[in-house]
Amino acid sequence: MRTRGAILLANIITGLLLGYTVSNIGFGDYAQLNRMFTFQDPRMLLSFAGAVVIIVCAFALLRVRRTPERIHAGVVPGAVLFGTGWAISGGCPAIPVVQVAGGYLPALVTIAGVVVGMRLCRWVSTRYLGLDRGSCGL
Amino acid sequence: MSSTYWPWWAGAIGLALTTVNYTLVTDRSFGVSSAWDRVLHWRRERRIERMDEEFTDDQALADALAAATAEHFGTGTGPSAEPAIPYGTSRPVEAVARPATCEPPATTNPRPVPLVTQAALLLSIFVGGFVAAVTSGRFHLRYDMGPGFRNLVTADPATMIALLFAGGVLVGFGTRLAGGCSSGHGLSGCGRLRPVSIVATTVFFGTAVAVSFLLWKVI
Repeated sequence: MRTRGAILLANIITGLLLGYTVSNIGFGDYAQLNRMFTFQDPRMLLSFAGAVVIIVCAFALLRVRRTPERIHAGVVPGAVLFGTGWAISGGCPAIPVVQVAGGYLPALVTIAGVVVGMRLCRWVSTRYLGLDRGSCGL
Repeated sequence: MSSTYWPWWAGAIGLALTTVNYTLVTDRSFGVSSAWDRVLHWRRERRIERMDEEFTDDQALADALAAATAEHFGTGTGPSAEPAIPYGTSRPVEAVARPATCEPPATTNPRPVPLVTQAALLLSIFVGGFVAAVTSGRFHLRYDMGPGFRNLVTADPATMIALLFAGGVLVGFGTRLAGGCSSGHGLSGCGRLRPVSIVATTVFFGTAVAVSFLLWKVI
């Protein structure tokens, strides 16, 4: 079941579904995103919150195990930086890819920024902070 | 313009289906920022994967040796054989190997998925986004970020490039420092009710709300 082929296929299907869904919800549209974050239009917010509710129920039904993870020192400052960057550029790590796919060429610059930021984070945290940053799930 | 987008419930079902399907098939939670991070550091990740493969081989060798020893001395038949191998070489190997691979599943993350599958994930996001944009009639090659960005942030191309880059750096740095993004913490992590993900999601969402209000009302 969980062979290399199955995992590859799952990643391809997940990517296609995620890209298709995120684009059709409107996360790639900066005006829509700002309207969500300023509560002018609850549609995208409800999509996200609704998804979380469905996932919580599905995982509970399927008895998906939880991996306890401590709240390490990087969580809050990292989330503040991410939130700021998301509101300014309109991109979380998947969105600029969807934006470029929709024809927004300047989003390539956002991707370049994400690449630099991630490399910088690994460099800084291993060299200066010695932080155990945990993982995004993998 | 917003009429071309999905109603909220369709989006919720789409995002939930994506997350649940991934977890069911791979037994892991997915996160786009970690996929990015691993693909960007592919040299290091490949090294780890190779070490992992060698380690698996070593363990297979140790297991085979232990089985052969047991067969030769006839000790592998019952539980009483266990304490009778005081100097067995398989003992220390097991002692070292077990904690890394066989810890209780509730406390450790499973092995990361192969690197190539993470690259496939990112490429597929592009293809999925492209298909969505084309089929909905939204695809339009352009050198700006749309009227929303122009009105709320800046109309000047140079400032736009600088802000997009700076925002991207903050996103890249922040997601990795926090250990996740809107998919890893927001969907997978909150879906599992992990405290760390709930804290991260609340903070990045709250910050984005504050900054968005600043852009909308003040700047």
